[in-house]
This record gives sequence, C-alpha cells and structure tokens, in this order.
Amino acid sequence: MNKVISSPDPLQRNIKTIVNASLPRRHAAERRFRWYGLIAVSLGLAFVVLMFGNIISKGYPAFWQTYIQVPIQFDPAVIDPQGNRDPQALQSADYAALVRAGMRRMFPAVEGRLELRALYGLVSSDGALELQNRVLQNPELIGAEQEIWLLASANVDTLIKGNIERSLDETERPIKDNQIGWVDQLQAAGQIEKQFNTILFSSGDSREPEQAGIRGALMGSFYTLLITFLLSFPIGVATAVYLEEFAPKNRWTDLIEVNINNLAAVPSIVFGLLGLAVFINFFGLPRSAPLVGGLVLSLMTLPVIIIAGRAALTSVPPSIREAALGVGASKLQMVGHHVLPLAMPGMLTGSIIGMARALGESAPLLMIGMVAFIVDVPKSFTDPATVLPVQIFLWSDLPERAFVERTSAAIMVLLAFMIVMNGLAIILRKRFERRW
Amino acid sequence: MAISHDAHTVKQFDVLLANLRNLVLEMGGLVEDQIKNAIQALDNEDVAAAREVIARDQIINGMQVKVDEDSVSLIALRQPLGSDLRLIMSLSKIVTDLERIGDEAEKIARMTVKTYDGVSSSPSAKLLRDVHPMSKLAANMLHGCLDALARLDVEKAVEVAKGDDELDQEFQSALRRLMTYMMEDQRTIGHAINVLFIIKALERIGDHSKNIAEYIIYLVKGKDVRHVKMDVLVQDALEEE
Amino acid sequence: MSTTIIEAKANLDNALNAEGRQIPLSSVQITDYDHRQTVGKITVDNPKMICRDVNVYYTGKQALKHVSIDIGANEVIAFIGPSGCGKSTFLRCLNRMNDTIPFCQVIGEIKLDQDDIYDKSIDVVQLRARVGMVFQKPNPFPKSIYENVAYGPRIHGMVDGKAEMDELVRASLERAGLLKEVENRLSEPGTSLSGGQQQRLCIARAIAVNPEVILMDEPCSALDPIATAKIEELIDELRENYTIVIVTHSMQQAARVSQRTAYFHLGDLIEIGETDQIFTNPKHKLTEDYITGRFG
Repeated sequence: MNKVISSPDPLQRNIKTIVNASLPRRHAAERRFRWYGLIAVSLGLAFVVLMFGNIISKGYPAFWQTYIQVPIQFDPAVIDPQGNRDPQALQSADYAALVRAGMRRMFPAVEGRLELRALYGLVSSDGALELQNRVLQNPELIGAEQEIWLLASANVDTLIKGNIERSLDETERPIKDNQIGWVDQLQAAGQIEKQFNTILFSSGDSREPEQAGIRGALMGSFYTLLITFLLSFPIGVATAVYLEEFAPKNRWTDLIEVNINNLAAVPSIVFGLLGLAVFINFFGLPRSAPLVGGLVLSLMTLPVIIIAGRAALTSVPPSIREAALGVGASKLQMVGHHVLPLAMPGMLTGSIIGMARALGESAPLLMIGMVAFIVDVPKSFTDPATVLPVQIFLWSDLPERAFVERTSAAIMVLLAFMIVMNGLAIILRKRFERRW
Repeated sequence: MAISHDAHTVKQFDVLLANLRNLVLEMGGLVEDQIKNAIQALDNEDVAAAREVIARDQIINGMQVKVDEDSVSLIALRQPLGSDLRLIMSLSKIVTDLERIGDEAEKIARMTVKTYDGVSSSPSAKLLRDVHPMSKLAANMLHGCLDALARLDVEKAVEVAKGDDELDQEFQSALRRLMTYMMEDQRTIGHAINVLFIIKALERIGDHSKNIAEYIIYLVKGKDVRHVKMDVLVQDALEEE
Repeated sequence: MSTTIIEAKANLDNALNAEGRQIPLSSVQITDYDHRQTVGKITVDNPKMICRDVNVYYTGKQALKHVSIDIGANEVIAFIGPSGCGKSTFLRCLNRMNDTIPFCQVIGEIKLDQDDIYDKSIDVVQLRARVGMVFQKPNPFPKSIYENVAYGPRIHGMVDGKAEMDELVRASLERAGLLKEVENRLSEPGTSLSGGQQQRLCIARAIAVNPEVILMDEPCSALDPIATAKIEELIDELRENYTIVIVTHSMQQAARVSQRTAYFHLGDLIEIGETDQIFTNPKHKLTEDYITGRFG
C-alpha cells in the first residue's frame, strides 16, 4: 500500500485502497464521538432528574395539609353577649376561646396551664379566623354545635407526614410526648386527616408555616411581569425595527448596537442598583412595588427582546422586501405589511423567553425592596409585593421543617410557569415558522 | 466583425468546428481534382479516365451528406451563435455548391464518354478551342475559393467573385463561335452540342464558385452579398468597420 | 471629479442634441477614466426611457461606466453579459431599486418619458408604480393569491370597493395567463403554487398596478423549460401593452424574446443592436467572444 501512496503521480493513486485503509480509524472516531455525546446528554439528564426528583419529593407533601376535627360549641355568651347580632361585635369576638373550649371537650382529662397550652398548640391559630368567617357568613350558627375540621399546627402536620423522629429525646423534638399521645388518640379516633392544601394558593405569606401561601408572590410576579411586558415589548420591537430597517448604518448605530449587546450581558443586580438609584431615589416611586420591579425588569429584558427582534427581522428574506418595494410600497408599508408580520413569531418567541428570564429573576428585585415580608396579597401596581423567586429565597432561609417543603412547592410552581412559557414560545415558533 | 481566433471555453467545440472546416476543404480539393481529371480525360480522349471521374462523384456526394449531418448535430448540440453560426451555415451552403461543381465535373466526363465512346469521328479541335481557357478560369476560381476559405481571406474571395464576369464573357463568346460553326457546317451540330454542354458546365462552375466566395464574405463579414451588383459587393466586403 | 462629470454630461447632451445619436466620447472631455464607446445605435424613434451617461459606484468601486441607451416604447430589450458586468445594476437603476443598497451612488440622467427619475421631485413610490419589477426568484408574499395581486392596487388606492378590486385581480391574472389555473383557489397561499406559476403570479402582481415599464431580472433562471416557455410567451403578449426590459443569462432566451439586445462587460455597455444582428453578426469582439463561448 505504501507503494501505491508513493506513486509519482498523485492522481494515479488508488483511492479505493487508501480510503479503505483509513475507514476503520474514521468509523472508530465517529463511534467515540457518539459515545461522548451520549454520555454528556445522559449526565445532563441525570442531573435534571435528580433535581426534579429532589424538589418534587420534598415539595409534594406541601400540597396536603393536616386537619383536626374539633367539636365546636358556638357559645352565644362568647360570640354575642349582647345578643343583637351586631357585626362589629361578631367581628371582634374571642373565637380562639371557642377553639380552646372545643379542644378541652375532646380531652377533658388535661389540666394545668402548661398542659393546656400544649393541647391548644395542636391546632393552628388560623382556627379562630376560620370560625369567625363561618359565623360572619352564617350567624345562624350561633348557639349550635358542630364538628369542624380545623387546620392543625405545623408541628402536628410535620409529625403526621412522618418528618419528626419519635425516638429522639423529647427536648430535641419540636413536639412533646404528651402532644404525640393526643395526636395518636385523635388519629385512632379518625379525627385527623390530610386535605388538599388550598391555603398554599389562596393566602399570602405568614410566619406560621401552615398558614403561609404563595398567592401574594404570584400576584406580585403577575403585576411585575405585566409592567415588564407592556413596557419592554413595544419599546423592544420598535427599537429593533428602527435599528434594522430604518437607521443609517454608521458609527453611531454601530455604537448603539454594541451597547445593546453589552447590556444583555450586564449582571442583573446592576439593573437593581440602577432601579434603586433612579426610580426610587430620584423619581420617588414607592419601594417594594411591582411598578418599580417591572421597570427594572424591563430594562433587563429590553436588550434580549431587541436582539431577538433584530434576528427575527434579518431572517425575513430580502426577496419579500424587494417584492413589496417593487410594487411601489413605501418603506413603512413594506415593514408594516410584510416584514413585521413575518418577524412577529420570532419576536414573540424572543420576548417570551426574555419574560421567562424576568420571571425567574430575584437579584435586582432584592435591591428595590421587594424582599420584604408582606402578608397581604397585592391588589395594584403600587402595593408592596414580592415575587415568586424572592418568596422562595425568603422561605429557604426559615428553619421550620414545614417551610422546607413549602419552598420546594413554590419552586415547583415557578418551574411549572417557566415550562408553560417556554412551551408557549416553542408552540409559537413551530406554528408560525415559515420555511423559505 | 471578423472571425475571432481565440479558443472556445469548450475545447471540444473548437475541435468539431475545425473538423467540419477541414472536411469541407478536403471535399474542395477532391472537387478540384475531379475538374482537372475531367478536363484531362477530355484532352486525352481517355474514356476510361472519364468513367473514373463519374464514379468518383459518389465520394463527393457522400462527403456532402457527412458535412450536412455534422452541421446539424453541431447546431443541435452547441447552439452556435455569431461567427460560429455563420461558419456552420456557410460551410453547409458551400458544400452544396461544391457538390454541384462535382456534378458539373461529372457532366463534363459524361460528355467526354459520349463524344469519344461512339463510332462517330472525333470532333475537330476548333470546336474544343474554348474549353481550355474556360476550364483554366473555372479551376482558378474554385482554387481561389478554397484558398479564401482556408485563410478566411475576404480579398481573395472578392477577387474570385470578380473573376466570374470574365468567365461569363468567355462563355458568351464561345457560344457565339459554336453557333457560327454550327451554321457553317451542320454536321458539327452533334459534337457542338456536346461541347456546348461542357462549356455550360464550366460556366456553372464559375457561378458556384462565385456563390462560395459570397458565402465566405458572409462568413467573415457577416454581410449577405448575394444578388447585389459587383461594386456593392466589393464595397461591402472590403469596408472596414 | 463631480464637476468634470457634469461638464462632460453637458457636452454630451449638446452633442446628442446636435447629432441625434451618440458621438464618440473621446471628443468629450472626460479625463478621469477610460471609456469604451458603445457599438451600435443607442437611440430609438419612440423612446420610453432615455438613459444618458449613467454611472454607478458601490463604495467607490465603479460598477457601471457611462451607459447611454434608449429603451423604446413597447419593445422588449434584453441585457446580456457575464456575471458582474453591471446589467442587473443598470436594471435596478431604472426603478431606483439601488436606493435600498447603502453606499450605492448613481450619477447620470435617466428619463422616463419626460421625467428625470433621479430628480428630487420624483418620489420612488410613484416611480416604482410606473416601473414594475419581476425578480429572479419568484417571491410571492406569503399571503393568498388574491392578496398578492390586490396588494399593489390597494396601497396605491387604485380602486374603490371590493367588486372593482375583484375585477382588477381577475384581469391581472388573466393577462398573466394564470387565471384559468388559479380561478378556484384565489384564497390559497401564493406560495402553494409551482415555481412557474409563482413567477406568473409575480408578473400579475406587477401588472396589477398598470405600470408603463416592467423590469425582469433573470425571471426564468429558477424555472424549468416548460415554465420558462410559458413566461416567454407571456412576455411576447405583454409587449403589446408594456415596455419590457429583461436581464438574462440565457442568450437563447434573449434571442427568443427581445427585439433589441445590449451587451454589458465589466460595467461598460459594449454593444447594442437588433437582436438578430447581435446574435448572428456582432460588431464588437467582446460581444462575439461572449456569445460564441470564447469568453475568459
């Protein structure tokens, strides 16, 4: 074979022998490369599965919550001593006393202040609110007696979910021996059960894990993203169209282009500092408000939308522009009638991905005070609010076991939104993508 | 526009065009030989040689067919334009005239056979007096044509075209003389008619040669100079652009 | 340099007026660059467009040099030449499509009827409505067949009401020889048609605005021979109503469809003449070499 290769005329070499000789080496290289790829992909997949498995296994119990059935005597003497059904009076009555009375009736043997406190500690302080709501909705209840499922305290919930080691020494457990005894009794009597956790989705943050929900954070995220979208999409699209279609190509537009590309790479916390300095300190906008959060996230999302928009515009073939100009369309008509509609799916895709990034952003919002502990669900753009990632960040800092599972649950909700948004982007792209 | 001598991008096209032209020139040489041989046979009263001339006309006919076939295939496959198109068209017309010239040579040979193969006496030399100068003129014209074709020489072609007038005049005077002989002595009429056919054939050779010369002018200059007065032809052909 | 060109142009104009035909430019004082004189008669009896001394520069590089030519009314004129010879560039000068290319500068005079199309008073929108264009690659809008044809008349406000528009669309498709094939699917996307049909749709789109001149930039280069034949037949029919300028790489096509042919070479207009003369007996050696396949 060497003889063949060293033939004096390079064009006289026998290509078949030469190629055959090198084939095994090439095939081996190809197989190796396939393996490398497979290994890399499986490694990545393994980590994704690990992460999702970890989060879901930790987070799914948070969607279930322990309730204790308590016989409640709606004592008119406690609720409405005057007997005139005055809403004011009904509002301010001591419903906690009713709960306490109910607990005592279940365990009449319990005596002593400490013991009783331990007993009352089995149910959440939310029980009083629950009773208040029921009475306010239906004053007929006064005087009646009902078996009512009250929210158990976080510790009982944790115990029921098997996350407290019973064999530990009493002092190392958040729940005492006598409490465990009562819980076991209740469980044996069928007066403890797990129900779907609606509180998680219906209430705002709370110091009590069993009462804490993500609604406040969800609404905060919603208002923030709405502001972000309303600002960054039109401005981003307009900027992209101007730069791509109308701006003269000179040093200034080059400079602007470079700066936009650089902005996309600026760490997000810098935008937070900018927002703090400009929107809050200079313009005096309210702290912790979705309005400011949206403004800051708009600044962050704009470069992404502009870059995606310009890419979408350049992908519209020049033949379409020529066709429009050829029949006498003005430049604006060309862009408005043909180029922009064709580029829109690409622009929307870019925008949605930018929005998804904004949804997951927490750092810049920390700088403008959206990290505060806010119980109320925000109702407008200027109410103090927090957002989902920040809520996760806050909860992850808390020591209670019940907050750990809530953190994971919130992460699952956030991931679900991310997946929905990215899915939407993919659908848009697939649906409206044109092949030229 | 004169013919470009640069090579075509497609080399094979050059080869095919050159082959076609060579074939025509070869055919021209053959036709020239035919005329020479026919006249020689007449001079030598050589019936066998004359028959040979008649037989060889088939070769010329075959070459004409070959040239036409090649021309058609060149046009179909190469879509020639400009000078290439003119070259192919001219060559295919030139071969038609060459073939006719070949036919005229054959005709002369047939007359030779007719004149000398019989029992009757040979014609007197004075009847054949005009054949020689005319055959020389005709042969010269044909030779000039082929020369002009080989070198794409317009001046030579113009010269040939001009020569046709002289041959025509020769023919007219020969005709008058033959008529005189026939009126003088009616016994010569048989031979005289044969001679008449021969000089008519020579005159036709001149006409065909002139046609060829005109095709050469068209080929080189791109101007159609058929059916125009001689001075116009000369002017058109030699005009510089 | 610009003053020299303007002077030269003035001289040329005077010379043209006096002689009625192009005079050797060597007598005009152009000293900046060498000029090749066009062979053949550039003028026609009833010109639709008159182009004089047109020069095009791309970022300093001269793409077209002193091109002077008349385009006659209701004639088909073909521009041929090797790639990069400036024929497409010149075609795009005729409806100012070159305006869209940055750093492209056009110097010279191009008149459509009496209007200088590079004059400030002429809007490109008006010009492009009068001088339509068909491109190399069929480029229908990704909209319905109907919308493709209706777009031009709509943006120019040519018709009142749906009925009139329907009539115009049908007439345009009919004239482009496409109506029979698409009559029952006007609402289908234009991109669903075959390549040849798409190109005829583009022609229908161009003639819907009733232009005076139609420019065609290699309209058949992406089509098969049958589709090409249909377009060529169409071009022949359209000649009755429009002036057509066609750029083509196919000499056979130029020979088939045009009455006059112009040969461009490296930015120069080398030769212009009757099509049969150009293809049987070109006067310039470059033309001869190009059409006989001796180029390069």
